[in-house]
Amino acid sequence: MFAYYLRLALSSFKRNPGLTALMVFAIALGISVCMITMTSYRAAAANPAGDRSSILFSASIDSWDPEDPYDSDQKDPETGKPLAPTQLTYRDAQGLYASKIPDRKVMMYKAGGIYSRPDKAMEPEYIATRMTTADFFGMFETPFLYGGPWDAKADAGPEPVVVLSKETNQKAFGGENSVGKMVRWHDREFRVIGVLNDWEPYPKYFDVSNGSFTDMEGAYMPFAWGRVLELGSDGNTNCWKTETIDSFEAFLNSECVWFHAWFEIREPAKQREFREFLDNYVIEQKKHGRFPRPLNNYLYDVSGWLKRNKVVEDDNKAMLVLAFAFLAVCLVNTVGLLLAKFLNAAPVAGVRRALGASRRDIFWQHLTESGVVALAGGMMGGLLGYGGVWALRTWYAQFEDDVGRSLPFDSMNFLLVIGIAVLAGVVAGLYPAWRIGRAAPASYLKAQ
Amino acid sequence: MEIRPIFSALLRNRAGAILVSLQIALTLAIVVNAVYVTQQRVEKIGRPSGIDDQNIFSFSATGFEKDFDFPAMVRADLDLMRKMPGVIDAAPSSHVPLSGSGSSSGFFSLPNEKGKDSPANTYWTDDHGVNALGVKLSGGTTFDPSAVKYLDQYPQFMEPDVIVSQGFAEALFPKENALGKTFYDNHSKPYKIIGVIEHMHGAWVGWDKLDRVILSSMVGPKPNTRYLVRVRPGEIDRVMAEVETALRKRDPNRVIGKLTKMSEHKKRSYSNDSFMAITLTTVTGLVVVFSALGIFGLATFNVNTRTRQIGTRRAVGARKRDIVRYFMTENWLVTTLGVVVGCCLALAAGFWLSTQYNMPRLDLYYLVGGVLGLWIVGQLAAWQPSLKAAKVSPAMATRTV
Repeated sequence: MFAYYLRLALSSFKRNPGLTALMVFAIALGISVCMITMTSYRAAAANPAGDRSSILFSASIDSWDPEDPYDSDQKDPETGKPLAPTQLTYRDAQGLYASKIPDRKVMMYKAGGIYSRPDKAMEPEYIATRMTTADFFGMFETPFLYGGPWDAKADAGPEPVVVLSKETNQKAFGGENSVGKMVRWHDREFRVIGVLNDWEPYPKYFDVSNGSFTDMEGAYMPFAWGRVLELGSDGNTNCWKTETIDSFEAFLNSECVWFHAWFEIREPAKQREFREFLDNYVIEQKKHGRFPRPLNNYLYDVSGWLKRNKVVEDDNKAMLVLAFAFLAVCLVNTVGLLLAKFLNAAPVAGVRRALGASRRDIFWQHLTESGVVALAGGMMGGLLGYGGVWALRTWYAQFEDDVGRSLPFDSMNFLLVIGIAVLAGVVAGLYPAWRIGRAAPASYLKAQ
Repeated sequence: MEIRPIFSALLRNRAGAILVSLQIALTLAIVVNAVYVTQQRVEKIGRPSGIDDQNIFSFSATGFEKDFDFPAMVRADLDLMRKMPGVIDAAPSSHVPLSGSGSSSGFFSLPNEKGKDSPANTYWTDDHGVNALGVKLSGGTTFDPSAVKYLDQYPQFMEPDVIVSQGFAEALFPKENALGKTFYDNHSKPYKIIGVIEHMHGAWVGWDKLDRVILSSMVGPKPNTRYLVRVRPGEIDRVMAEVETALRKRDPNRVIGKLTKMSEHKKRSYSNDSFMAITLTTVTGLVVVFSALGIFGLATFNVNTRTRQIGTRRAVGARKRDIVRYFMTENWLVTTLGVVVGCCLALAAGFWLSTQYNMPRLDLYYLVGGVLGLWIVGQLAAWQPSLKAAKVSPAMATRTV
């Protein structure tokens, strides 16, 4: 029966090719706009930590100005209190890192410097460098092409070791296995201990302070070198307190925030314990005259952290809503066109009824027809959507820190929008199909 | 013309009329809000930066040898560039305006954090900075060459003489001439305003205090600075290539970063706004076209199914003009129903957007414009089917009865 309805649908399309094309096109456009905005939304809403999302935690403690909260725009949805800074002071990064509760832990910030080779075989170049501790590579599951991470001993030294990105290794060593070779950092030498493979977890969840889609760093160095080499942040630094900062040591001891710390804590009991530790840490510091604001600490897992940092921007959400509103207009349009088309062909339905087709038969026949229109519209819309995503990627590619690279040509999105289209098409066809099925055959036969 | 018979005829084919009304309502809600948001983004993108941003490029220079002479490097680089053909001026700069990377601090009109206060983007440059940016001084002068300080390390304070933008001047000294006035940082260190820039944008285009800028006469700190190079219109590509070659040749023992046009930085800073504006404009256009098609379809359908009725009316004396008017009025009624519902939807959507997504509240003029626009679109879409109706011959009345 279904095959017969399909045949009827096709012959009906032939009868009004223009009208049919218009319906298909309307659905296709609505669907393609949905697909483009959905792709952009899903890219921003992605959580690259996967199933580790719920065991990785970033701490946020309120070390800010008693007069003026860090973030007056964003309030804690539960308590209504203004949220705490998203970065830590040097002292607090050290203080929290010292805890024995987490299974693994990391503190870090973004710096940079000029790399070259002792044998002058590399054109000197500025390379953004993440100053971090040994567990970074395990906690964020960085893939290694050659070698591996440094260990806690190298952190303590600090030993002059460096991990290069694949791209930096290409620049410095033409892509060969460089483990054990030396690179120059300004006028010092560092030994390559590992080379990462391609690694682009977007959004860049472990540090979104310079944007969620900014380039990964080209090299990684033991955190303690930051203090030895007096490296300030090449990321983001925020200060509130009036204090004399006349040396790098004074800067490190100031209330300026520019560090991130992450903790891997697998057991819920330990997670609770660590939250208590945070509060106790702040209470202890208050005794020394720090933390003038009321107790306001947060321990975010990865998805909570992404939300706290508004990685999905308001614009993303507003456009998604708009896209579906546009799809709704396209669908209402389609309902109207289907109705007109079905009623136009009512005499045919009348003849079929007179020859013995039931109301239900007529209903299903017409619903099949609208389903086919929707399927065609959905597929065309999906293809148009791919085109749109491609155009968007091309457009974003002209900029540094290309946001577009995170937009996938996702077959999941494609199937999803086709599903939405068919569902929407069937919903749109319900009323017209019911209406035509209800019409009395006699009136149409009479007019012929 | 009687509206009642039209109304009762409409009621006979409720479904079609309701669908078109609904479509018009949704269209109005979408279009009014989309146009409003687009308009704001376009205005934001198009506002002047005060800087000659189409004719400036920038890059960084970093020394890395142990005992290199930082001031000598900067002076030699700048001397070389300023003499090159096509270059209007070149200056060091701590950051590049409009790039999304910068530095800001808070300042006060009185010591001890008293009086008016305002944050400002701070840029460090030399006596050529004003000219290299292409900003206009509305009063005062630029820095004296002897005031420029080359830094060995990150300074705790700026140099005492500063040039500020009018936006910053107004924030600290409203309705006063700020030239010659003194303001203070949070350590109560005084700064004297020796020049006022008519208008200049700073680092972050999304910041509502973007036009509050301070220039200070410092370079560095060692071993790094950026350069801004302003060129004559149309010569930027040639000069960029020549500058890169010349500087690398002058001293290969430091790193010259990637040369980037300020217009690129600007485009990138506004890229999300552009994306939003492009998407909204496209969707708006499509929605209007679809609505017109919907109206056209319904009108055509109504005409086709009512040929006998039209024929009868013609046969009993209705003129062609009356038929046209009948269908146009019918269409107007449907559009108006849609527009009334649409106004409520548009206001609700606008309110929701402003509360949920921090967008400004919908301006009512846009609603009025949208209503008028849809009335016109509706009448235009119904015009052709109405003319077709008028051509129905009175003989139709007799043919099939």
